[in-house]
Amino acid sequence: MNPRPWWRRLGHGGLLLVAAVYCVFPIYFVLVQSLKSAHEDVFGNPFIVTSPTLENFEELFERKGQPRNFVGRALRRDYPFFVWLENTLVIFGGSVAITLAAGLAAAYALGRLRPPGFRWWRRAIFATYVVPHTILFVPLYQVVIRLGLDDNPLLLLLVYPTMALPFCVWILSAYFQNLPREIEESALVEGASRAAAFYRIVLPMSRPVLIAAGIFSLGTIASDFMLASVFLLSEHNQTIPAGLATMEVALDELLAVAGINLMAIPVVLVCALFARGYVRGLTAAMVEGA
Amino acid sequence: MVTAYLLLAPATLLLVGVLAYPLGWEAWISLTDFSPLNDRGPAFVGTENYRRLLGDAEFWRAAVVTVGFATATTLAKLVLGVAFALLLARPFRGRALVFLAIFLPWAYPASVSVIGWYWTLSPPIPTAYSAFMGHLKVTVDHAVGTGAWSFVAVTLFNVWRGSSFIGVFLLAGINAVPPELFECALLDCRSAWRRFWLVTVPLLRPFLALAVFLSLTTAFADLANVWLLTAGRVVFPVIGTQAYWLAIKAGEFGPASALSLMLVPFLLAVLALLFRAFDPPDEARA
Repeated sequence: MNPRPWWRRLGHGGLLLVAAVYCVFPIYFVLVQSLKSAHEDVFGNPFIVTSPTLENFEELFERKGQPRNFVGRALRRDYPFFVWLENTLVIFGGSVAITLAAGLAAAYALGRLRPPGFRWWRRAIFATYVVPHTILFVPLYQVVIRLGLDDNPLLLLLVYPTMALPFCVWILSAYFQNLPREIEESALVEGASRAAAFYRIVLPMSRPVLIAAGIFSLGTIASDFMLASVFLLSEHNQTIPAGLATMEVALDELLAVAGINLMAIPVVLVCALFARGYVRGLTAAMVEGA
Repeated sequence: MVTAYLLLAPATLLLVGVLAYPLGWEAWISLTDFSPLNDRGPAFVGTENYRRLLGDAEFWRAAVVTVGFATATTLAKLVLGVAFALLLARPFRGRALVFLAIFLPWAYPASVSVIGWYWTLSPPIPTAYSAFMGHLKVTVDHAVGTGAWSFVAVTLFNVWRGSSFIGVFLLAGINAVPPELFECALLDCRSAWRRFWLVTVPLLRPFLALAVFLSLTTAFADLANVWLLTAGRVVFPVIGTQAYWLAIKAGEFGPASALSLMLVPFLLAVLALLFRAFDPPDEARA
C-alpha cells in the first residue's frame, strides 16, 4: 500500500476515537454509576468515580427486607437476585441451545436436502419476523394458560427461540447451500452414513456459522424484556430483566444499575470471546465460497 | 425427502406453535367487536374496524410517526454502520480493540441497557446529573410537545444499538471482498464517493438488505420495550403503543388487533423487495 499522508492517518485515527467513544460511553457511564456510594451518586462528578465501592453489588445479593421502616417493606424490599441469575442462565442457555439445534436441523434440510419448495419454506420462516409483537402476548397468554405454563420460566424456552430462529435458519441454510456437494459426497462414497458425514465433516466446517448463529441468538434473547416481564409474575420465577423491571428505580437506583451490570457483563464477555468467530461466520454464510 | 421434513419439523413447529394461533386470533378478532368488557361473545363486524381506522386522523398521525421513526432510525443506523465498517475495513494497529468497542452496544443486552439508558436520560431521583437531564427534558418537551424527550431517548438508544449491529454485519461483508477488488477500483476511479457507490455498495448488497430489514423490525421492538417499562410514559402515538393502549387500557381488542396488523402488509412488501437482494443464489454448484 502506498503510504498515506499524515493528515489522513490523523483523520482516520480521530474518527476511530470518536466512534469508539460514542459506542462505549453509555456502557462506561452505567458501569461508573454502579460503583458509586449513595453519597457520591448525588454529590460527585457523574463521569468518574473517586472512591469505587462494591456495596451496591453486595447489597443486591444480601439485602434483607426491613419492615421496620414506617412506609413498610416497600422501601427496603429484598431482591432474590441469585434466583433471577439462575433462571436467566437456564433460560438463556436453554433457548440458545434449542435455537441452534432446531435451526441447524432445519437449515440442513433446506440448504442440503432441498425438499420441493425449499426456497419458499425458508422465506416463510424468515417472514415470521413481520408478525407484530405488540399485543401478540394477549392471545399467546391464552395458549400458555391452556398448556398450564403460565408463570413458568420454561415457557420462555419455547418463545425465545422463535425470535432468533428465522435469522439462524437463514444464515445456516445459506451456508449449507453454498457448501460444495463433493465435500459430503466423498464421505458418502467411502461408505459413511449421511448422519456420520454430517457429524464428522459438515458440522466441524460450519463452526464459525454456528458461532455466528449462537451469538446472534444470545444477543436477541438477551434483548427481550417485554415477554419476560409479561409472562413471569412471581418473583422466584423471574429472569434478571423481568426482575429489574419490578424494582423501584426511584428508590433503588444504584441497586438497579448494579443489577444491569451483573446481567450485562457475562453476556458481553461471551459475545466478546466469540466476536471474531461471529464476523467470520457471517461472512461465510452470506458469501459463497468464502 | 422424509428426512428433510423431519428435520424441518422442530423449527416449523416452534414457529407455528408460538405464532400461528396468536396471529390467527388477532386476525379473527380484528373482524369483530370483541371486548372483555362486554358479556356477550364477539360479534362479527366485517372490515368495520379497518374502515374506522382508515378514517381516523389519530391513526394516520400514528402511522406517519411510526413509519417516520422506522425510516429515520434505519437511515441513521445505515450511515453510522457503513461508517464503522469502512473505518475498520483496513488493518491498523489497535483494530481489534476498536472493533470490540463497536461491537459492544449490540452485545450489551438491550433488555437491561434500555433500562439504564432510559433512567439515565430521565433520572428518577436527585443524582449528580439529574438537574442537567431534567433541564434538557423540559426544554425539548416544551419545544416539541410532551413526551418528545422520551421519544428522542428511545430513538438514540435504537440507533446506538442498531448501528453497532449493522457496522459489524457490514464489516463481515467487506471482509468477504478480496482486497484486490478495492485496489482495482482505486486505479479505475479516483473519486472515493463514486467508488463507494459503484463498488462497495453493490458488493455489500445482500448485507445491506438484510440489515435494513432487521433494523425495521427491531425499531418497533425497542419502542414497545420502553413503552412498557415506563408504564406508557412515552406518549408519542406509534402504531404499536396505540394498539396496546386500545387493547389493554380500553379493552377494545377489535380495533387494536386491526391496528397492530396494519403494518404487516407494509413489512411484507419491504421484505418481498429485499428477498431478491439477499436470497442465496439459485443454482446448485456442481
